[in-house]
Amino acid sequence: MRIPDFAYHRPATLAEACNLGRTYGDQARFLAGGTEVLVDLRQKRCVPEHVIALGSVPDLNHIRADEDLLRIGSMVKLEEIAESAAVKRFFPALCEAVVHIGSVQIRSRATIGGNFCGAVPCADTPPVCIAGDAALRLVGVDGERTLPAQEFFQAPRQSVLDPDELLVEILLPRQPESSGVSYQRFSLRSGSALAVASVAARIVLEGPSIAAATVVLGAVAPIPLPALQCARLLEGQRPSAELFSSAAERAAAEAQPISDIRGSEAFRRELVQVLTSRSLREATARAGGGVQ
Amino acid sequence: MSVASLVSLTVNGQMRTVAVQPGTTLQRVLRDDLGLTGTKNGCEIGDCGACTVIMDGRPVTACLVLAAEAAGSEITTIEGLAQHGELHPLQKSFIKHGAMQCGFCTPGMILGAKVLIDRNPDPTRAEILTALGGNLCRCGSYTRIIRAVQGWKEFSDVGLDTAPRGDDERDQVRDLSVVSHGVTRYDAPDKVTGRAKYTADFQLPGMVYGKILRSPIPHGIILRIDTRRARELPGVLAVITGADVPETRYGVSPARYDEHVLAKERVRYVGDEVAAVAALDEATAERALDLIDVEYEALPAVFDPAAAVQPGAPLVHPENPRYANNINTRVEWDFGDVEQGFAAADHIREQRFVGNRPYQNPIEPHAAIARWEHHGERLTVWSSTQTPHYLQHMISRVFDIPMGNIRVIRPAVGGGFGGKAETTPLELCSVILARMTGRPVMMQYSREEMYYHFRGRHKLYMDLKIGVKRDGTITAVQSRVYLDGGAYTSFGVITAYYAGAMLPTLYKFPNYKYDGCRVYTNLPASGAMRGHGVPQPRFAFESLLDMIAEDLGLDPFEIRLRNAMEPNTRTCNGLDISSCEFTATLERARDESDWRNKKGRLPPGRGIGVGCGGFVSGAGYPIYRSEFPHSNAIIRVHEDGRAVSLHILASEIGQGSDTVLAQIAAEELGIPYDCVWVVECDSVLSPLDLGSYSSRVTLMAGNAVRMAAADVKAKLLAVVARQLDRDPAGLEVADGRIFVPGDPATAVGWDEAARTAFGQSGPLVGTGYYSPPEALGGGFKGSTVGTSPAYSFSTAVCEVSVDLETGYVRVERFVDFSDAGTVVNPVTFHGQVEGGIIMGLGETLLEDTVIGPNGVITNPDLHGYLVPTIGDAPEIRSAAVESYEPRGPFGAKEIGEGCLLPVLGAIGNAIYDACGVRVTELPITPERILLGLKNRKA
Repeated sequence: MRIPDFAYHRPATLAEACNLGRTYGDQARFLAGGTEVLVDLRQKRCVPEHVIALGSVPDLNHIRADEDLLRIGSMVKLEEIAESAAVKRFFPALCEAVVHIGSVQIRSRATIGGNFCGAVPCADTPPVCIAGDAALRLVGVDGERTLPAQEFFQAPRQSVLDPDELLVEILLPRQPESSGVSYQRFSLRSGSALAVASVAARIVLEGPSIAAATVVLGAVAPIPLPALQCARLLEGQRPSAELFSSAAERAAAEAQPISDIRGSEAFRRELVQVLTSRSLREATARAGGGVQ
Repeated sequence: MSVASLVSLTVNGQMRTVAVQPGTTLQRVLRDDLGLTGTKNGCEIGDCGACTVIMDGRPVTACLVLAAEAAGSEITTIEGLAQHGELHPLQKSFIKHGAMQCGFCTPGMILGAKVLIDRNPDPTRAEILTALGGNLCRCGSYTRIIRAVQGWKEFSDVGLDTAPRGDDERDQVRDLSVVSHGVTRYDAPDKVTGRAKYTADFQLPGMVYGKILRSPIPHGIILRIDTRRARELPGVLAVITGADVPETRYGVSPARYDEHVLAKERVRYVGDEVAAVAALDEATAERALDLIDVEYEALPAVFDPAAAVQPGAPLVHPENPRYANNINTRVEWDFGDVEQGFAAADHIREQRFVGNRPYQNPIEPHAAIARWEHHGERLTVWSSTQTPHYLQHMISRVFDIPMGNIRVIRPAVGGGFGGKAETTPLELCSVILARMTGRPVMMQYSREEMYYHFRGRHKLYMDLKIGVKRDGTITAVQSRVYLDGGAYTSFGVITAYYAGAMLPTLYKFPNYKYDGCRVYTNLPASGAMRGHGVPQPRFAFESLLDMIAEDLGLDPFEIRLRNAMEPNTRTCNGLDISSCEFTATLERARDESDWRNKKGRLPPGRGIGVGCGGFVSGAGYPIYRSEFPHSNAIIRVHEDGRAVSLHILASEIGQGSDTVLAQIAAEELGIPYDCVWVVECDSVLSPLDLGSYSSRVTLMAGNAVRMAAADVKAKLLAVVARQLDRDPAGLEVADGRIFVPGDPATAVGWDEAARTAFGQSGPLVGTGYYSPPEALGGGFKGSTVGTSPAYSFSTAVCEVSVDLETGYVRVERFVDFSDAGTVVNPVTFHGQVEGGIIMGLGETLLEDTVIGPNGVITNPDLHGYLVPTIGDAPEIRSAAVESYEPRGPFGAKEIGEGCLLPVLGAIGNAIYDACGVRVTELPITPERILLGLKNRKA
């Protein structure tokens, strides 16, 4: 399987990378870890004339945590996130999500930025980051913008990035007191298998009640899908098996799955229900609460 | 547009600079520019892990790293692991644990493990599973790999020998010196170092590359092909179409040769071969394919066998009236009196079962090289084939060249499982292109092309009916099977017969009716896959037997024991069972698995199930008629008497045949295993052997080898007898000595005797041959299929956990007892059983080649088509029961295919025990289980 010809660029600065993006527009593709771009190239899913490799762009490889914010550079490799003590401390659910992605070989090359920018509906890091209230910092020729992670996705394989724009940082705020995040996913094999459905949930408790809830569904909609009705149903309520069961049902109804070789629409809805219920339980437990 | 640039990187400690194109990957640099072919190519999209190398301390798949991105990095390949000629302890551990079979995944596996132990010298099992989850091993050596990684430290400071690692794997007691001992695999050192050369690893001087253009439509007439633009592309040396290939059709069964090397007029499936190109490099060849203009007249296509047999359905082979209604093969067997048998039954149950379309998926893609020798009409073909002789025969037939002018070389083969048992368009096109270009031509399939070439398992639609007495005694069996054959016959005639022939070998029943109908459809051709034609009918039978047992309140073991085959029995369909310890496998598997305490007593979501199976030890008849013995061997004693060379065309494809045959030679000769060289598989060096299919090698090639060794021994003893003035009959040979029992003073060294023999009369050579007993089978139409000198028997007990909310199945444990006669090598024996269980697990739970709209395969890759990873491997306890097959060498028979057969039924029955859901359609997906659970509730 031939890789089609292209011109290879390796900008040394972010500005240069953005300029190349603007110059070549649709004809160019940014290359981070390459685990997706090379597959696309081989399978002729995209045939860019220019590949802009980001490996030499500085300041995209950091994991920095301060009091209130965890900053992860977009070129940080997934395996580095899995191993990072800072991430484990600050937002452990991300480490849990990351280890499901591909194999150790893939995680040793693939980056978190790539996992977002590929905008594949079954990607594992976006749901959990969205549940954790992550923001994304984008830099383009004309400046930078920061937006909530859930606003990044538009359609399968399509994000809000302009051709000259790069995702440079994932920003995760300190999680609220008495909160817990859980990521649950289902795949058909023990490892190296795409999610058939996934659910990330965050529960914030206030006393015995749920003060805030976020439930994000993966692989069951064109983009990572916040299950808003499900969340609303939870808020202000005391965690209980009954509550979670009806919340899970609501999440399943909110999902917009398709049928493909990994599972039918109906099966995916069932999975959403089960995974939502499991993630709510785990998130609640992690928030220090119990389920009646 | 693209510009070459220089990239420097450190490879195995050496700074290397290479010129690369932007799209050149690290994999290509290592393999093509640096000749480090231990970095394998299995899928090119990061799914299989065969190209794993260590890059700056981390494992990466070299196919997904652009060479430019590797600039300045430090790379370790498998070739860089041994230091100063000393193997790394991991490599030694892999050798001693027998942690490889075909060896194609081994370099990547070892490098993945190396990164792990460098960071963590004492990894837990879970850590090993995570670290190696991206390295697929289709031979299913996972359980041994885990042990090899866990035990690596044991080999830190020890030298290496071929002695068995321990006696723990010996299940049988034999008074033998080499046979029955778990000596290390003959090919292991080459496979752990990356030295083993597979076909695609060869770079011959002047070699060019070929590619095949395939039909994008499932059915149509080729109106016009314009190759001009392709021929004009710089670097293109030759372009061929159907007009350039012989009229002679080829295939597997002589009665149904139905393929042209390239389509002459009609294309019959998406992927049918239409044209081929030879070019200076593979990329140019692929580019040229895009420049070939083909105009088709699209015709209606048919994708479902039930629809294909209806009047008026599109005909896949309209030119041949024999295939009216698309019926490719029809079998109508009726043994005993089925009506009477059902009339005599107390209970009858009938059930429809539907199979799936598993693909063999060897990690090594098919590859071939052809070279004309400028020496008369001589031709050499290197191929990743399981059957060098049939390839030689088919090339001879298609091109009308004497077989004697064709040399077939089979390098190491990275797994076959039946998918490499027949001649492919790769081999045939490379012969034509090599002739036209005057250069060696290499061709290989991409992973996607492998799926379109297919020859995977037939999808079966089965209606099975069993009648029993109240005590479970089977009175009658009726089976109706439709086989989806795809567009060509391949092995399918035999498949259609096997699907019926093997049911009566396991259980005794007097009345049996089988209707088999193999149907052409506009899909890739199905062929022979491990267990050929039998796994799906066996799954159906084992499932239905459990359903009947439940109806009657019988234990699943009870009903099986009641009907179990016995030794020296002629089955209702005329197959002669010789040795048979089926009952012993049942009893021991039941006891060892703690069945009585577990069956029906495990908590909800946990279940236990039993399945049985067995297979032929080699087909009783060859694929095409010939007077030649099926296996032949030559043993040549080296001049100094310290070694012998074994010349045989039997095909090591990972199953361990080189090892087993070397052991048989050593045992019979009375010399140590280490004294045997197995000569490269090359038709110039070795005599005919039919190859690796139908589980024939251990018994048939083993008998030929034993006979050749006995021939050498007799000649040697004659020399010694003269020297000692003794009767040769009074001499014995053991441990490299020839002696008179009870008179140690008379001993002569084996080597000394051999030197004497050589001095007296030149080369000391022995020959041997083997053909199955004559006139096997019942003499009715199709009665040859299923015949064999001997049959294997296995019982497997499986434990599963089923997630009752998602339907996810985790196979926890397998206990397998097999009757394989004498186990020649416990390590390779258990390797086959463990691998068969893992492959069977895959096709039961995960695998299906999914056909999308218009005959396009939806998942022609290793991420849409999921095979088991190391994390899916259950705990396996495998053992051999005491058994001796009089027709086998030292009592041996087959294990490689029979071991897969119990697996499907055992898992299905365990799932039923766990959750009460009987899934009758393969694969048993979580979705199907969940549906069953819902239906139960409703």
